[in-house]
Amino acid sequence: MTDGPLIVQSDKTILLDVDHALSTECRRAIAPFAELERSPEHIHTYRLTNLGLWNARAAGHDAELVIDTLIRYSRYAVPHSLLVDIAETMSRYGRLRLEADPVHGLILVTTDTGVLEEVIRAKKIAPLLGIRIDKETIAVHPSQRGQIKQSLLRLGWPAEDFAGYVDGQAHEIALKQDGWKMRQYQEHAAEGFFHGGSGVVVLPCGAGKTIVGAAAMAHVKATTLILVTNTIAARQWREELLKRTTLTDDEIGEYSGAKKEIRPVTIATYQVMTKKKNGVYAHLDLFDTHDWGLIIYDEVHLLPAPIFRFTADIQSRRRLGLTATLVREDGMEGEVFSLIGPKRFDVPWKEIEAQGYIAPAECIEVRVNLTEAERLSYATAEPENRYRYCATTRTKRNVVEELVARHANEQILVIGQYIDQLDELSETLDVPLIKGDTPQKERERLFAAFRTGEITCLVVSKVANFSVDLPEATIAIQVSGAFGSRQEEAQRLGRILRPKSDGRGAKFYSVVSRDTIDQDFAQNRQRFLAEQGYSYRIIDADDVFQGKL
Amino acid sequence: MENRSYADYLRGLDDATFISMFTHRPDLVTPVPPDMSSLAVRASSVPSLARAIDSLNKWQLQVLEVCLTLDEPFSERDVTSLSEESAVFILPGLVERGLLYRDKEGFRAPTTLKEVLGNEIAGLGPASMAKLKLKKLEDAPPAARKVLDAMVWGPPRGTIGDIKKPSAGVKWLLDDGFLIPFNQQTVVLPREVGIYLRGNKVHGELETSQPTITGTKRDARSVQVAAISNIATFLRWTEEILNFWAQEPASALRSGGLGVRDLKDLSLHLGVDESCAAFVAEVSYIAGLLTIDPDDKILPTHQFDIWLSQTPATRWQTLASAWLITSRMSGLVGKEGSKNVAPLGPELDRAAAANVRRLALSLLQENQSLSLDLESLYRAAQWHAPSRRSGGLQKDYLLWTLREVEWLGITGQGALSTYGAEFLSGGENTAIADDLPKPVDHILIQSDNTAIAPGPLEHEVAQELALIADVESRGGATVFRFSEGSIRRGLDHGRTGDEISKFLSKTSKTPMPQPLEYLIADVAKKHGKLRVGNTTSFIRCEDSALITQILSDKRLDILNLRKIAPEVLICGYEAAEAMNILRSCGYLPVGEDSRGALLSGPRIQRAQTKARPLRAIGEYERPDEIQIEGALRALRTGEKSSRKQSTMRNIATEALGSLPRTTANETLELLSDYLQNQPANSLSIGYADNNGMVSHRIIDPLKLSAGSLIARDHATGEVQTFRIARITGVAAL
Repeated sequence: MTDGPLIVQSDKTILLDVDHALSTECRRAIAPFAELERSPEHIHTYRLTNLGLWNARAAGHDAELVIDTLIRYSRYAVPHSLLVDIAETMSRYGRLRLEADPVHGLILVTTDTGVLEEVIRAKKIAPLLGIRIDKETIAVHPSQRGQIKQSLLRLGWPAEDFAGYVDGQAHEIALKQDGWKMRQYQEHAAEGFFHGGSGVVVLPCGAGKTIVGAAAMAHVKATTLILVTNTIAARQWREELLKRTTLTDDEIGEYSGAKKEIRPVTIATYQVMTKKKNGVYAHLDLFDTHDWGLIIYDEVHLLPAPIFRFTADIQSRRRLGLTATLVREDGMEGEVFSLIGPKRFDVPWKEIEAQGYIAPAECIEVRVNLTEAERLSYATAEPENRYRYCATTRTKRNVVEELVARHANEQILVIGQYIDQLDELSETLDVPLIKGDTPQKERERLFAAFRTGEITCLVVSKVANFSVDLPEATIAIQVSGAFGSRQEEAQRLGRILRPKSDGRGAKFYSVVSRDTIDQDFAQNRQRFLAEQGYSYRIIDADDVFQGKL
Repeated sequence: MENRSYADYLRGLDDATFISMFTHRPDLVTPVPPDMSSLAVRASSVPSLARAIDSLNKWQLQVLEVCLTLDEPFSERDVTSLSEESAVFILPGLVERGLLYRDKEGFRAPTTLKEVLGNEIAGLGPASMAKLKLKKLEDAPPAARKVLDAMVWGPPRGTIGDIKKPSAGVKWLLDDGFLIPFNQQTVVLPREVGIYLRGNKVHGELETSQPTITGTKRDARSVQVAAISNIATFLRWTEEILNFWAQEPASALRSGGLGVRDLKDLSLHLGVDESCAAFVAEVSYIAGLLTIDPDDKILPTHQFDIWLSQTPATRWQTLASAWLITSRMSGLVGKEGSKNVAPLGPELDRAAAANVRRLALSLLQENQSLSLDLESLYRAAQWHAPSRRSGGLQKDYLLWTLREVEWLGITGQGALSTYGAEFLSGGENTAIADDLPKPVDHILIQSDNTAIAPGPLEHEVAQELALIADVESRGGATVFRFSEGSIRRGLDHGRTGDEISKFLSKTSKTPMPQPLEYLIADVAKKHGKLRVGNTTSFIRCEDSALITQILSDKRLDILNLRKIAPEVLICGYEAAEAMNILRSCGYLPVGEDSRGALLSGPRIQRAQTKARPLRAIGEYERPDEIQIEGALRALRTGEKSSRKQSTMRNIATEALGSLPRTTANETLELLSDYLQNQPANSLSIGYADNNGMVSHRIIDPLKLSAGSLIARDHATGEVQTFRIARITGVAAL
């Protein structure tokens, strides 16, 4: 029995004691095969999943190494059954291989005919297969590469993909590191991606995902399609690429509602890609118009369904997913991994914070007592209107006013879900409001003014949930949200995580009505951040008025 | 020629021989037989012999089979010539077990032994009556050769179309007596021919030693580590299973045992597969830690509380010892292809269970540091226990045993651990306590409302935490999650919010996160605001003065009134009764139904159930003519036959005088003597019928088996079965 930092549980979770001397070394050792699930203050939870183990196999780690690592760092004896299970799971990988074939295009080859017989009898697989070439080989239609990989994964017989990636049209891209340097984790992330071929990089908001994207492009050196959430983000990507790489203005195109440029590096919005014309997705062709060598999905946790489907068909192109919060309330995280690729890099937010690359943030939940009258109307409201009612009460507005007043000389964002509430707030606070129908130009003007400090307070709707770069914002006040969405909460905090020029910390206020459904949703919303080690402090609305912040 | 009986042989034995015999066959002295003749009867009874044979290994059994193919008395040389020289070393063992005995002329075997081993010992047929010219077999024509080849290694019976029209080969063999016609369609190969064709041996292959066991070599240290982890896990499972049922007792099925759904719940709770969950439940059951209450609830016993307070070594020892000797086989639960056998149910007992377990364990002991390969273990076990009684040794049993020893931690990674070795040699295993991870007394609370116990928790802390938090992950450490529901559960069990907070901050090494404090405070604030209770009736009045008056009215004390609101009283009486009492005291109440509607006037009462159909009791129905005639015919026939029997019996009684009387043992001895020597005379016995009437019978015994005597009754001329217990006495005529 050693005194290691790991405790391996029988339910395949692994607990890592962060305060242990060997924890950093151990974290590095288990990262290739275990997935980080939670990273609060003291004990981080990793999980062994089939997918994770197979990815480890794909990256060249074998079962023996995994087992050795677990035993070496484990504090208590590792359950034998678990070790057997790991060995068995990992041995399932690679019995089927997808290979390129000069005659048949793509073939599925096996070393174990029993497995092949089993999978070709599966209902989901049979339609994807072509002719049987011999006992161990069967042809697969090249366009079904993604589909078959996904289906085989579900059957528990993941195929090792040797068919490789198309190089795409070569295009010289290099990083231009003048006056700035890639951070170590960014380098690791970009390299992890490139060696793996395709995959997802998870980094906290404000930790410089765009640079990871740029570095990936510099590795691949080919034409690139970048998919982003909205036009603002598209512009930000463009600026960032111009600043960080050797790319010039006319090499980068924007493909959005406003412009339809296709250039060696094209930045397109999800919105335009999924726009339907006469019932068909008119712009999905963009994937095919160019021989892209790399496709980057920004904020991959928001990937819309049509793109999901289309992504399955372009498995021969390198894909990079970028996100801070790979949690979806619809549970589609698994799909992201199987379509874009496995998680190639993940790091606890607090670790980046400790390195000083994101601003330290304090999360504060302000509990507001409803007035007697408000309580009564809440109690009698229709169930479907209850959240809206308690999230937008008048009492909340007073608290927000007070909070804004308390932080008068800082850059403040007031974020909310319901437009009428935001309208009212914008009016009472006398600050501009950015919402869905604010014209693009106006949005950019306001954001620019906010960045320069001309405006110190902005009220924003969910349009500013993500991808908006506001480096100097230090205070965010959340008044309402999309029910219990964990990623929204994290993304909103992300708006204020860019390191400040004076090293100041950020403050994230979430104003919540006490004893209502608002409070329950708040608890769910906070889970992701709490699991990342952000400890919420709860204060009473009265404390705000008395200045006890 | 002196032909000593088995009983006589026993009478001549010395103490040492008896001691070794009883050591090998403990059933001979449980209970202690009253005299030598009853010992002889028991020792040569079928069940006892079968047991003795079960304890033989393959080689011993082969030698015994050789002995039984020989004509008695036989010598050592006879035996070795039919097997091999080393067989002589086996013979003393067989004599020691009382399976063979020796007189002046040579070895003999108890007559019943052949019955136990079956008619076709080692696949050989009966001895031929005629003298055979075996040399002639060398010249057998090819057709006959083919027949012989098919029959030589048994079974010695062959089916042919018709004995009257045999094929050429069969005919050739029949002519020389190399085949014996058995019935219309069957021929038998005589023993001599079989042995001759087998090259003057009984067995084709002599299995003089145990086949080697193969397996994977394990490193001693990792075996230890794995075993201690298994032990820790098993103790944890046991505790969890019992705590789980203490909170939500499962109900036993009507047929006894645990239902499929409950088993599934259990396996989910433990996070193991169902066979493992069933095993843990079974071990707790046989160790007396849980029981099935008369109301069919499956609950932990007080023994469980005692068990909890013991050291880990003792706790483990208790479970393992119970498992070692039980005849219950939890592996039968959910076995594929069989009907659903329920854990804790009545269908799990298998006589062979403990023996198979012992055998597997002894083989594990012999092959330390080896993780045994099931196939080779099976072959070795078959050599050790070749007997075919009750289907023989099942491979499944071994598989289950290997699985169970691993769960229990007797083995680690499949090889015997020192704990297992110590346990099997009867040691105390005190090392377990030192090797088990040290219990921790603290937890680490984190801001995501989880708490982690970084090791096995001390019992009290674990109990308390289980009350106020849900377990999210188990293993070496435990992850607890606090939620509104879990805190509420704690409050429901009588903790206050303050107590919970205090307990947590005392137990936690890390500061208590503020959101958790708020969570506890919030739940505690809301907890108990609503009150729910049962009552039989209520009294309601909008005039609270009247309510106060009723409450203070001494005459109404019998109503046991309690004021739950200014305008509402509750009362333990039925509404109608309460109303009567109120009325008698001068109040004017009116009934109200649950929806608040007034109930006016007394209702005319009607029964809730339907009327029962009228039942008429009358005389028997008159039978018709055919029935009467039938009855009469049956009566007359019966009468005729019984008169004939009684006449015969009377004649016999007259001829014999009084009924013979012998003790049970004498009876058996006389009967076996008769069977062995087959004298010309018949026997006279006294036999009790169903009503206890003893009648006199004259019989020719044919066979003794399983407590019955099969004999020809002279009175009826039929072969009849007599229960030995009912024979009052035997005398030779």
